[in-house]
Amino acid sequence: MGYFDVPEVEYTRYSNRQLAAVPLAILAVALLVLSGSFLLTGAPVQLGMDFAGGAELTIQTTSSEGEIRDAFDRAPDSIQAIQAPGVDNQYTVQFAGIDDSEAIQALSTQAEQNLEADGDAAIVQSESTASASFAEQTQRTALLGIAVAFLGMSVLAFLLFRTFVPSVAIVVSAFSDIMIPLAFMAIAGIQLSLGTVAALLMLIGYSVDSDILLNNHVLRRSGDFYESTHRAMRTGITMTVTSMMAMLVMGIAAWLFGVELLASIGIILFVGLAADLMNTYMLNVSLLRWYKFEGVRS
Amino acid sequence: MGPIAFAKEYWRILLLVTFLGVALVALFIPGGIVADDTLAAENESVDDNPTNIEYGLGLDGGTRVSAPPVGMTVDHLDIEHDEQQQVATALYTYDYENADLEVRDATVRFHENDNRFSAEIFSDEVTPAEFAAALESADVGLEVDEDDVEQGVTQQTRDEIIQTIELRINEAGLDGGSAYQEATLGGQYYIVTEVPGMSPEELRELLSDRGDVRIDAYHPDEDGEQTNETVLLGEEIADSGVASYDDERGQHYVPITVDNTEGEDGNSPASEYQGAMNDLGFTGEGQGRCHIQDREAGEFDFDPDDPQWCLLTIVDGEVIDAHSMGAGLAENMRTGTWENDPTFRMIVPTQQDAHHLAVNLQSGALTAPLDFDREQTFTLQPALADQFKLYSLLIGGLAVMTVCGMIFLRYRDPRVAAPMFLTAMAEVVILLGFAAAIRMPLDLSHVAGFIAVVGTGVDDLVIIADEVMDEGDVNSRRVFESRFRKAFWIIGAAAATTIIALSPLAVLSLGDLRGFAIITILGVLVGVLITRPAYGDILQRLLTDK
Repeated sequence: MGYFDVPEVEYTRYSNRQLAAVPLAILAVALLVLSGSFLLTGAPVQLGMDFAGGAELTIQTTSSEGEIRDAFDRAPDSIQAIQAPGVDNQYTVQFAGIDDSEAIQALSTQAEQNLEADGDAAIVQSESTASASFAEQTQRTALLGIAVAFLGMSVLAFLLFRTFVPSVAIVVSAFSDIMIPLAFMAIAGIQLSLGTVAALLMLIGYSVDSDILLNNHVLRRSGDFYESTHRAMRTGITMTVTSMMAMLVMGIAAWLFGVELLASIGIILFVGLAADLMNTYMLNVSLLRWYKFEGVRS
Repeated sequence: MGPIAFAKEYWRILLLVTFLGVALVALFIPGGIVADDTLAAENESVDDNPTNIEYGLGLDGGTRVSAPPVGMTVDHLDIEHDEQQQVATALYTYDYENADLEVRDATVRFHENDNRFSAEIFSDEVTPAEFAAALESADVGLEVDEDDVEQGVTQQTRDEIIQTIELRINEAGLDGGSAYQEATLGGQYYIVTEVPGMSPEELRELLSDRGDVRIDAYHPDEDGEQTNETVLLGEEIADSGVASYDDERGQHYVPITVDNTEGEDGNSPASEYQGAMNDLGFTGEGQGRCHIQDREAGEFDFDPDDPQWCLLTIVDGEVIDAHSMGAGLAENMRTGTWENDPTFRMIVPTQQDAHHLAVNLQSGALTAPLDFDREQTFTLQPALADQFKLYSLLIGGLAVMTVCGMIFLRYRDPRVAAPMFLTAMAEVVILLGFAAAIRMPLDLSHVAGFIAVVGTGVDDLVIIADEVMDEGDVNSRRVFESRFRKAFWIIGAAAATTIIALSPLAVLSLGDLRGFAIITILGVLVGVLITRPAYGDILQRLLTDK
């Protein structure tokens, strides 16, 4: 097994414009995807049952997936078999966007009536439901939470560095770090759930970590710009890649085990951290370099 | 080196060790830090749970139903004490378009603390405008328009609901259930009920029973027409027993005691009931003359051919039983001695009815019904919960191993990587100990929080390690201290942003996410204040070869 080392990037070979172009282009594509999805479906990303109302059932049954699909009076959004060690015949069935609360309450009864029990185990192992109006409430609360978190982070960034360009760099890359995984969700068909919202908020924290590190090395230390950048990168990339790997492992394991909350947090953080690598070391670096060499300093 | 100098030099490590020790005590010693007020519960759980950690619904199984109470409130009514009853009467007698309110559906409260009156209606079929009009119809000079009407009920009403629900859960014989309220953004409140070992349908049924019990006398009036008259209300019952069965007569019943304390008019509910029974003929000609109920079919015939004297047991407006008065009881009533020992049996058709009735009588009626159209439910079988416990351990373990592998690959120096790993683990142990000490029930979301803590923790340790080992060897304490301080600025700034980013989740009612946010914020605090400085000390000790 090879050792994990952080390579030295020759930033001098690229102009600021070239460096910034890639992350900005990707951000533009992400925004395009989100607005396209908004125009088509009315929401930038598919809303899960937490935000649209509906139900999620974990069932244990010897019936086949096709029989599970037919057991309910409305078609499930997804049926996923759980592949944990020592577990057979368990499935997660999701329904989102049901307005009628009685229809939601009837789902578990339908499962119990129409599916074959697996030995003595209860058919409905777990059920989570939210009525449409409860979900709407959750949606508003979550939006407020994200807005407050983002605003608080922006204010803190300005307080920490007290200069315009570096602070803006932090805010812009945090924004992009959230938009890119959102666009990924829209494309990959991952529903927005409480778990993914938690991941997005965590991303704000993680994203700012590496930005602060970079800004701190470049602005608050004496020494050559490229030298400082390289040092910040060595630490920063170690951090981010370590977290990415942990999240990937957690995401895949939790997905196989059917632990939805942990799975969505893991996958979204993995994608977001990858976006953060790009944003920090291309967008942020180019903004900082421009500020350091050409920017007007007050 | 003297002990004081030693403590001065290594206070950060000592602090870490102290916290670890306390956390381990809280985690593993039964009773641990917690005062012994719940020793009984503690003993039960010791057998199957080697630690003091408490698990929440998501890791232990059970059912949770959240639903808001139905109702509207007008606050700060400008009325006097002697007008209170008048307003309440106006509210339930007003002629609403779609609703026919009963006494229990409206209430006027006086709030002693801030000396104000409020009026509430517990129905979703009344419009705010009608509510306002009904208040004005009380003829006490109130001026109310529909903008004064707020959705939702008062805190007192919610407290009563929660109390009633808790009584019902206990009556149903379920341990470990609880009810509490949760505020939402718009100032609305949800009543949340958590019960282990009940399905959502059962819990919903327990919660949707309004639980309003009364007895009506069904008897012929002067013209020989059958008529209904309420003779006993649920609140006039002083005490009730458990669901019982009489083998001899084959009856399911609940024994009750009617309140016999005298009211202002010198009459007690018991003596009034006795009087009504005698006046209406239940103790005389009507004895044994009730045949309107077909017990086999569970049906009632309210169009009988001959005069009937029936006592109707009515729960939430629905007749569940009709029977005549027994000879012994009638005798006591006739002679007027019954009111001295005012007990009788409320007879119902089935054991299940008896059980429901007992629960409803014990807990009293729900002040306001809950709106299940706006509910959220969660339920988990204990078997699956056990799986989740195992999975969380596995997933957490895998994530930690990955982190560990990455830092070994990166630093290739066990002197740097091993303490890094141990420090991150110490953080988790301290947090777990804290959770056990304050008896925070752990759920899946908390597990996610623990993993996030390891993630941010290792990030910060990497920053410390890189910063300290920057620019060649660390050969003096001064160099180390200055570099450590620089690293700490970054860590502090990063910690502050994480806390800010997650604090909305810790206060907003977003269900699962609150646990995640609380653990992550606590973890960041523990990390910045205790474990990460200690890691710096350890690293210094190892690198400066003192």
